[in-house]
Order: sequence, then C-alpha cells, then structure tokens
Amino acid sequence: MGSAFIETSRNSCALHGALATLGAIDGVVPVIHATAGCAIQYHHGISPFGGALPKAAGWGAPLSSANIGEKHVVFGGGSRLREQLKNTVKIVAGELYVVVSGCATEMVGDDIPAMAKEGREQGFPVIHASTPGFRGSVHRGYQIAVRALIEQLPARPDRPAAAIPGLVNVWGLIPQQDVFWQGHLRQLEKLLRAVGLTVNPLLGGDRGLEAWHQVPAAALNLVISPWGREVADLLASKYGTPWLDSQGLPIGPAATGRLLDSLTNALRLDAAMVAAVRARGQAGVSRHLAQIAPLYFAAGFQREFAVVGELALVTGVTEFLSETLGLIPNLAVVTDPLAEERRDDLLAPLRRLLAPFEATLALSEDAGEIADLVRASRPQLLIGSSLERSLAEDLDIPLLTVAFPLAGRLVLTRGYIGHEGAAAFLEDLGTAILGGPEGRGA
Amino acid sequence: MNSLSGKAPSSREKRLDTLSAYLNEATALLEVFRSDEVDQRIRTFSQATPDDLFVALEALADIRGAVTVIHGPRGCAASRLRPVLRRGGSGNGEGRFVVTNLTQRETILGADGKLRAAIAAVCRRHRPQVVFVVATPTVAINNDDILSVVNELSEELGTPIVPVFSSGFASKAAIQGSDQVSHSLAKRLIPPFTGPRGEHANLLSIDEPAADRREGERLLAALGLQVNSFPSGAGPDALARAAAARLSVSLNFDTAGYLGEALQRRADVPFLPLPRPIGLQATRHWLEAVGAATGRQDLARQLHGREAVILSPLLEKTPLRGTRVYLSLDPATALAVVDLVRELGGDVAGLSVDHLDRLHLAGLGSLLERIPALQVHVGHGQGFEELNLLRRLKPDLYVGAGGPLVQVARLGIPAVSLAGEPIVGYRGMASFARKAVNALRNQRYVAGLAGGGHPYAAAWFQRSPDWHIKQEVR
Repeated sequence: MGSAFIETSRNSCALHGALATLGAIDGVVPVIHATAGCAIQYHHGISPFGGALPKAAGWGAPLSSANIGEKHVVFGGGSRLREQLKNTVKIVAGELYVVVSGCATEMVGDDIPAMAKEGREQGFPVIHASTPGFRGSVHRGYQIAVRALIEQLPARPDRPAAAIPGLVNVWGLIPQQDVFWQGHLRQLEKLLRAVGLTVNPLLGGDRGLEAWHQVPAAALNLVISPWGREVADLLASKYGTPWLDSQGLPIGPAATGRLLDSLTNALRLDAAMVAAVRARGQAGVSRHLAQIAPLYFAAGFQREFAVVGELALVTGVTEFLSETLGLIPNLAVVTDPLAEERRDDLLAPLRRLLAPFEATLALSEDAGEIADLVRASRPQLLIGSSLERSLAEDLDIPLLTVAFPLAGRLVLTRGYIGHEGAAAFLEDLGTAILGGPEGRGA
Repeated sequence: MNSLSGKAPSSREKRLDTLSAYLNEATALLEVFRSDEVDQRIRTFSQATPDDLFVALEALADIRGAVTVIHGPRGCAASRLRPVLRRGGSGNGEGRFVVTNLTQRETILGADGKLRAAIAAVCRRHRPQVVFVVATPTVAINNDDILSVVNELSEELGTPIVPVFSSGFASKAAIQGSDQVSHSLAKRLIPPFTGPRGEHANLLSIDEPAADRREGERLLAALGLQVNSFPSGAGPDALARAAAARLSVSLNFDTAGYLGEALQRRADVPFLPLPRPIGLQATRHWLEAVGAATGRQDLARQLHGREAVILSPLLEKTPLRGTRVYLSLDPATALAVVDLVRELGGDVAGLSVDHLDRLHLAGLGSLLERIPALQVHVGHGQGFEELNLLRRLKPDLYVGAGGPLVQVARLGIPAVSLAGEPIVGYRGMASFARKAVNALRNQRYVAGLAGGGHPYAAAWFQRSPDWHIKQEVR
C-alpha cells in the first residue's frame, strides 16, 4: 500500500461508506452536497455488489443530492445547499437529515456545518458529516458517519439516563462492505440473546433512531472489526462504557466459544447457562462436521487455500478452516487499509493462526498485486470477492465469494457468525468445492 | 459541434442549448427553442443524477486493450467495478482501471507526480495498447497539469495516452461525458485521412448494450457492408481504420453524433445522423437511408421485407392494445420507443427524457404530427417529479432505465427496464415486446411491492410536479 495507484479498487471512498451506513438506519435521510455523479457512483458501484441493500438504497438511488454545477464551484455552493436542505425536509419524509459532503464542496470551502446549524435553528433535525472521498476509504466514511450520529444526534428528553442491563452495541460492521452485514447482525443478535443479552439494533433494524438514542445506555460495546475501535474509544471516554474486541468475526465453534467466554467475564453472565449454550452449539456443529465426512474425503476438502478480504473476515475464516476443518492456509491478503501505527497489533491474531503453516500474510488492495500473490501461493482453493473469479478460473480452482464486491450471488439473511453461521459456511464452502473443477461427481 | 483544438468540448448547453429541467406540452417546448437563446431552467430541489464523469467512465469501459487511469480520490472509480465484474473479475484484462487515490494533502498540493508514476507503472504492468487518463472534480478544481504529464509520457513510453477532461460539473447533462470521450478519441486516436478510401462503413457505438451493437452489425453486414464498429467493443485498431471508411452511421445519434461529425470534418467521412433504428418503421428508415447512401436500396428493401415477415405475427396481435405506457428514457431512445409502442398497439401517456436539445427538435416535431397533445418532462433521475406525474397519469406500464424505475414499480405500476437490454432493430423489437407483455401478464410482484409506499412527504403530492423547476436568473 501507499503506492501511486490502486488497480481495480475494492475500497471506495468515505462518502460512499457514509451513504451505506446512514442508508441502513430507518428514518435517516442523507442530503448529499456534492457533484451529481458522486451518489450515482455509489448506486452503480457499491449497492449492487454489497449483499442486502440498506433500506435507503432500495429506492433505486439516493433521494436528495445538491448536484452542484460549475457556478457553485466558482462562487461557492452554500446557498445551493441551503435551498436543497430547505426543500428536502419538505419533500423527503424523514426523522433526521444528515448533510454529507463530497470532495468538490469541501475543496471550494462551503461552510456545511453552518448550513446544518441554520436548519436546526429553523426547527429541523439536521446534522452534518464531512465525508469527502479524499479523507479516506469507505471504512473511514463509516467512522465519520457513526461519530456524527453519536456527537450530534439531537438530545431527547426521554432518553434513559440509566444503563439498560444486557444491552450491547456492535461496532465495526460496515453495511455492504461486509456483504453479509444483515445476516451477521441477525446471527449476533441470536447468539447474544441465547445468553441473555440484547444487541442494540443500530443498523438494518426497524427501530431506526430509537436504537441510536440508546447507545449511551449500553452495558458493553462489542468491536467486531478494526473499524469499530475508534467509536468504542469515543464511547468509553464519553460514557465510560467498557468495550470488548472479538479480534475477528466469530466464525466456527472455537471463535464463537471464545466470544461467549469473554462476554461472560465482561458482563458477569451465569457461567453455567453460557456453558450450556456453548455445548449445544458445539454439538450442532459437530453433527454437521460428521455429516460431511464422506464428501470431505471424496471431494478432497482438505486443501491449501488462499483468502483475500477484510481483516475481521479473513481472521474468522482462517480460524474456522484451519483450526476446525483441517485445511491448510497458504496465503492471507488483508484488503482493508489499516492504519500504519496500529497494524502490528491488529494483525497479531491472524499471524498466530498462519504461523504453524508458514503461510504468507500480505496487505494489499491492488487487484494486480493480489493476483500475483495468489498465483505465487499456488492454492487449491480461493476465498475472496467476485473480482477473483477469472483468477480462480485461470488457476482452475474453486472460488468461494465472501467479500465485497459480490456479483452473481444474492445475499439477504446469510452470514457465517456463530454456530448457525458455521453451518451456512460449510454449505457454501462445500458448494464451491463440489461445483468447482474436480469437485463435480464427488 | 466543437473544433477539436480545445482540450475538451464546451458545455452541451452552450453548443446545443441543452435543457435538463422542464415540464410542459411538447408544443410549448418547441416554442422555447424557437428563440436564439434558450433560457436555462434549474431545480431548487434535486435528486442524484449521472454526471459527465460517470458517463465518460462507462463509455471507456468497453474499449479493448485499454487501461483507464482515474486521477482522483477512490470513490471516483467506484462505478467501474460493474464492467469488470460483468466480465468475471479483474484477471482477464479488459475494462481494467486504476485510481490514483488522491488524499486531502494531494488535493491541495497537486499530484502530477503521482499521476506520472501511475501511468508509467500501469504501462509496465499491463502493456496496454492505449491508456485513458480521466480527470475528476478534484483535479478539475485544483488544476493538476494532466496535459503536460500526458504529452511527456506518451513520447517516453511509446504508448498512446489519451486524456479525457471530465469534471463532474462540465454540464448539467450527463451526456456531456460521451462528447468528452468522443472529442479525445477523435483528437488523439483517429489519424487524418491519407487515402485510399476503403469499402467499410463505420458503426459508431458509444454506449449501446452489446446485443444492440450486434444487431446493428448484423443489419449492416446483411446489406453486404464491411462493418468497422467502434469505440465500444473495439480496440484502437478500429479507430485507426475509421478515417478511411466510406461513411459513418450510428445506433444513437445523440451519443455518437459528436464523433460522427468530428470524423466528417477531419477525414471527410460522411455521417448519417439518423433517428434510432427502434421499432419497425424506424428500422426500415435507417436501413433504407444506409442503403441509399451506399447504393444498396434494393438489398435494404428485401432485408426489411424478410425481417418484417418474421415479426408480423407479433404485430398482428397488437399485444399492447389498450395499454397506456409512460416512457422515461434518454431522449433519442424515448422518441423512437414512442413509435414502437404504437406499432405494438399501445398509447403513450407521457414522456420523461434525461435532457433535450436542438438535436431532438426534428424528432419531437414529427412526433407532434402524430400525437398532438403530448406532455414532455425533462429530468434525469428525478423520481420525485416522475412519481408526482404518474400518480396523476396512472399509466398501465412504465418503461424506464434509471433510478426512478424502482420507485415507480413500488407504486404498483408494472415496469420494464431497458438498462442494458436490447431495443435496437428487429431483434430488439421482439425482445421488448416480450418483456412488456410479460410485465402486464403477471403483476403480482409489483402489486405486493405497492404496500411499502414511497419515501416522500404527503405534502409533496399536493404541489404541481414542476414546483421546483425555475427559470435561471442570469
């Protein structure tokens, strides 16, 4: 990373990350202060390939965009935004309007916070998030949008002052950049409910802003990817809420069990009750593992694999494949642009999983570089995004698509988290292997 | 038509008085264009719509042997994932793109060096036949000197490097992006005519779906013409042959006209600016005009006769009889689909077009002779206006291609999407008829969707649909 360019980038910009995040909250209307095409790039390049659509994307394209022209670039676009905002609250139904900015309006220096403030002074619920693409990737956009909501959401008099026992906020799950975001949230909800906890439905649920008002009342902030840590830190300093980092998506019985143990310690859950949940889940996974045994040998499940994706997913997949399923990691490519200074810490758990197999760990978001790495590792199975399709065909190996961008596969509720997710992962892995070269007829 | 001397075409508004916002009877619209200078309209509320950058990126995506270098922040390249994924991933070479991933600091200090490094590395890595460098809002504002980098490296690397000066705000009409691409192609990749003239015909295709391009190629080949089809689906070699062609035709005069005229002026290749060959009569007209220009009138007539026989059972059934159809399409397509709908027995309830300018006046005028009271809405992706209109018009079928289609379908109105779908020629006609008929035959899915409502405040529908279209104050 850090080179002059990215080939076939799978990490779009901050504005697009903010749109995916805000679009997944009922009642939130993004007001895009940017050139016309910024929102259209999102609509054509992100939303069709990110699994389940956030609610807002279900309207076909973003509903309010100032579409600034040459005149606004030359003379400033502040008055255009004022007009757009004033009319958006009249035309588009919503409970909260969030002005998000593109590169052009930030470069010409439009005073966007002032326009949002003006809207509030007129009695409209308006906040703003500075999301020009040059500030970073979708991940950064998620962080900026979440921070804007936490810091600027208008206070409500009925907001509960006291903590809600057992309420857990989940951070770091970016709608569409995690193509299983909707399924992953549901699976986490189900898993935590089984041990008496409640996931605060911040994204994708039908509680909308209600859930965001509850954020300070949570007993714990659960961080499930590196991109959730910043908000957990913010909430720790703002409200003193403790946080817990799952260090990767909990895929498979071992990681799931570890998460349940950590939750037990952090929230003093009834250990015996949790142990029973664990045992039940583990038994289910074991049954499935036994059921695939004939195929496992006939179709040669035990393969050397390469995995390409975001750190949280790659860690979770690698652990399940190598620690439970007996596959051999050759290569892991982490595609999210991790901050240089925290990289070593963040990568440590994945490094530990790869070490016994002397597998290569690489960081890259460049498709050309990724293809070279994959070829050099000579895998027998590839796990990545649909961008790797032709590479897998070239290498004549099965491809399991689990990462953005996802094409040719419809995802609604699917996900790989927890005991239930392990079964779904087995099904998809098996389908890829059996449908791939050599697998047919096994 | 612009001279090719500038680095980019002037805005479509300046060249063709292009309107992007309007609503009225078509007769009033024609009246607007009678004056020498057309007053522009603006919207005081707008929804997301494509811009010149997006359209330019789409137009470049299907040029073979090329790599596109997008000089801007990451998000400016997002839409190019789609063509790569359509081809099955990033490995097979076509549609390749890289983005220079500009940071905040680089937007202030400039990033000429980064662009230079990116182009050089891409040439080393992939040895492309041509590199397109596409400008974005960021570099249009900070004035990165793309031209110097391009000129310097073209010589140094021996690879043609073609800059396309998109900005995201060059025009309110996104079609400006096709003109930008055409301008750069004509200026940089089409050599001047040195003779001798060949027998081949250029088929100019900027953004048609591959199926439409193939139908165009099939029809020209059936007339016994050698077809040189470009830029979409072809490499720089096709452009090199362009200047020696005997004539140029297109399947869409709106997107390809700029290139056709440039070729005509630069290399004396006559360009036939024909209405789109959509529907039976327009396809016949297109074939006969090409036939007349190439001395193949008889072949054209025979070909049409054969194809019309194949379609006659469909036409006899008048499958859209009694159906009121609303069209929301680019103007060249919309004007042609009106007649296609009527050939299939339907009526047109109204029209939304992405933009409208002097290129469409003849088509609109002749349409008015057949449908005197036609309402025309000019707006690209403005679903709020379309829904307001459609709640009044209550059509039986909606034919669209963009964002508003989903909103319309969610009102419970059966909808057909033409995005990426064949519509050109005889095969396009059959394909369209089948889709339209099926949308009417089973409406259960859209009926179910209707329960979900729409995203607008109830008060909006009390307003007139053009409430937010205002005459621009100069």
